[in-house]
Amino acid sequence: MWGKGLVAGLKVTWGHWFGKKETVYYPEEKLPMTERFRGGHLVLDDKKCIACKLCAMGCPNAALDLTVSVDEEKKRHMDSYKHNIGRCMYCDLCIEACPVKALSWDKNYEGASYFKEDMTYDAVVEAKNRRGNDE
Amino acid sequence: MAQTEKFVLNMGPQHPSTHGVLQVQVELDGENIVGAKPVMGYLHRGIEKLMESRTYAQCVPYTDRLDYVSAMNNNLGFCMAVEKLAAIEVPERAEYIRVICAELNRIASHHVFIGSLTNDLGSATGMIYAFRDREKILDLFNIICGARMTAHYIRIGGVAADAQEEFLRDTQAFVDYVPAMLDEYDRIFTGNEIFQARMKGTSIITKETALKYSMSGPNIRASGVDYDIRKIDKYGAYGKFDFNIPLGEQGDNWDRYIVRLKEIQESANIIQQALDNMPEGPVMAKVPKVLKPPKGDAYHRVENTRGELGFYIVSDGSTKPYRVHIRRPSFVNLQALDSMCQGMLLADAVTAFATIDPLMGEVDC
Amino acid sequence: MHSGILYSTAQALREILMSFVGIPIIVDIIMTVICATILLLIMATSALVFTLGERKICAFIQVRIGPNRVGPGGLLQSVADMIKLMDKEDIVPRGIDKWLWVLSPILLLVPSALIYAFFPFDDGVILADVNVGLFLLIAITSQTILPFLMGGYASNSKYSLIGGMRTVAQMLGYEVPMVFALMGIVMLTGSLKMSAIVEAQSNVWFIVLQPLAFFIYIVTALVESNRPPFNLVEGESEIIAGPFTEYTGMRWALFFLAEFSNLMCIGILTTTLFLGGWHGPDFLPGFAWFWIKTFICVLFYQWVGWTFPRLRIDTMLSFGWKVLLPIALVNVLLTGVGIYIYNIM
Repeated sequence: MWGKGLVAGLKVTWGHWFGKKETVYYPEEKLPMTERFRGGHLVLDDKKCIACKLCAMGCPNAALDLTVSVDEEKKRHMDSYKHNIGRCMYCDLCIEACPVKALSWDKNYEGASYFKEDMTYDAVVEAKNRRGNDE
Repeated sequence: MAQTEKFVLNMGPQHPSTHGVLQVQVELDGENIVGAKPVMGYLHRGIEKLMESRTYAQCVPYTDRLDYVSAMNNNLGFCMAVEKLAAIEVPERAEYIRVICAELNRIASHHVFIGSLTNDLGSATGMIYAFRDREKILDLFNIICGARMTAHYIRIGGVAADAQEEFLRDTQAFVDYVPAMLDEYDRIFTGNEIFQARMKGTSIITKETALKYSMSGPNIRASGVDYDIRKIDKYGAYGKFDFNIPLGEQGDNWDRYIVRLKEIQESANIIQQALDNMPEGPVMAKVPKVLKPPKGDAYHRVENTRGELGFYIVSDGSTKPYRVHIRRPSFVNLQALDSMCQGMLLADAVTAFATIDPLMGEVDC
Repeated sequence: MHSGILYSTAQALREILMSFVGIPIIVDIIMTVICATILLLIMATSALVFTLGERKICAFIQVRIGPNRVGPGGLLQSVADMIKLMDKEDIVPRGIDKWLWVLSPILLLVPSALIYAFFPFDDGVILADVNVGLFLLIAITSQTILPFLMGGYASNSKYSLIGGMRTVAQMLGYEVPMVFALMGIVMLTGSLKMSAIVEAQSNVWFIVLQPLAFFIYIVTALVESNRPPFNLVEGESEIIAGPFTEYTGMRWALFFLAEFSNLMCIGILTTTLFLGGWHGPDFLPGFAWFWIKTFICVLFYQWVGWTFPRLRIDTMLSFGWKVLLPIALVNVLLTGVGIYIYNIM
């Protein structure tokens, strides 16, 4: 009979009206990020890093801008590790390229910023700050 | 004396129901459509050209951005084309995981179809229901590859990482949920008389027209042409699974909707079979760090959510492709828009955009 | 003669005023002004309440929570929205027909405010209990097409124009079945007076006696107030927002106000015409029953609106002319036969 489908639809919405809601109260309640989640800032373990620049070579979109210096003992140091989030595709190729597993994501997805300048950060500085906080 | 004249209505690129930045110049006689001319290029990013300056491995994340609601299928198409070119053998487990991901993504993409279709028909509630269910799949992708839409999971030679126990368990849970989900869709949309009145008998594409326009995917299957690359080419692991190709009868909006609805069930069946018969083993073939395919060219096509997605890659023996051409199904399907809209009402044009299911990232490439 | 708290309060107020002023006609004028202010306040509040209600209901249906940040549980959301709308830049597009464009939202409010005069809120509480109340009501509500058409024509936008033209087609198609459906009630009551219609339902509500008319009225009321699934005039996925496309800020808010005022009007009318108005068991006063029923009606209309997809213009018009009108005529016939049988029995 004509109208049966309409009533069935009304029943569905009626059921959801009082049913369980899917909303997560976002700023108070945050969903946990998965283990493999790609996003946020790059965490550079500058003790492990051998400054080989393979990550920058692996980057498809030139989002990484590294400066490397070589000291007297021919040891390479990562002086700055500029990551431009605006260019980043979060493809994970830099992390996979790292031979010593010195890179990871901090999984902080709240990366929005008011100014373009804030979208570039230096992972070396962040690593030093993190170490400073730990000590 | 009263005088009437036709006028052109520029729908889009800023319009609630043009699926991104499609502009359609609709020629109207009152509410009746005389012609519809899609205008594209608002989302052109030059992905084919960008790929020429990237190594093969670096190209893969760009394919995510083509058809961004079914990224896994695009990854698959490109990777298989490169594998063909470089003669790389993919491990069997990787093939199975690829199929699971591609089919999950097909379901997710059909959710977007159902959601945007019902939204265009004026029922915002329908959109939310479809997107609620799509969220479950995106969460699965988040587990397996760490991204929800731009997956970059299927790589040249296999997949990025093995599927975890958690992923397989949750996928099983989703597959078990599919019948209940489809039942709810049936009750709220499919059975709805208003919905049927809007869809049945409108914007018919006949078999001949569909073949003439070289359409593919669910759009041509809705017109009754049995054409599915998964069955024809049996690429990857698809030859090992038993599944049906749902066909429509007359090629109207209703058939295009029903075909997709049935495809969700078929995809769920494929996933179930893949989960049951999942072999053990490695998930990545031995691919050299610097991949240099031999000189030559390769074309590989896969059944994307929207149709036949083909990658034509020319290699000059270096680390970067010499030329990449992408056969985008949305772009080809969109040609039929004019013949679909002629003689229909303005409201039908919106339904026609929705059932043709173009994705501007793919159309403009 | 009349009972009820509202009526006796008004009488008491009138007596107080009488003792201060002394001239009956001035007292009448003051009383009218007070009543009109109250009605306008009700109308404005209804918009605030129903915007929040609409958003909450649509959210609940769509497995969401809806506004929950402004005020306790999101209660002040619509107030915040109003402030935002007042704050917005008033954009006047080029090439418009200035006078029609400016007048359209204001004129739209007039009929929606005017009809509140004919609603019996409680026993004896009705601002203008004229003999042709129902007739006037229908006449006034049908005037809402003009502002829509004006806005659509004056906006110099094709979307608006299509929306404006749709309004006319839709109103013409559905006004007729609506009038014929209400004819059954008038035949039963024998009067067009609103208070008489409510009085006649003191024992049996008209929803029982006139189920066909009730069905037709629900459909046509949704059309008249541009509620989904008949919101073709706004049809956001087709013609953006129809006649409102080019309006911003407060001008748009006036359309919005009128829309929610209309929503409440159809709720009130359904209550008054079919659900027995202020009649109800004695443990609650009449006006409480009236508002409870109205709110249930509004909830029902919103529930329907958020479930169904929108109809297409041709389906909708053929439904109006080919289905609803014959049903309405049959209903008139059946009512007549029924009254005849009742009388000879």
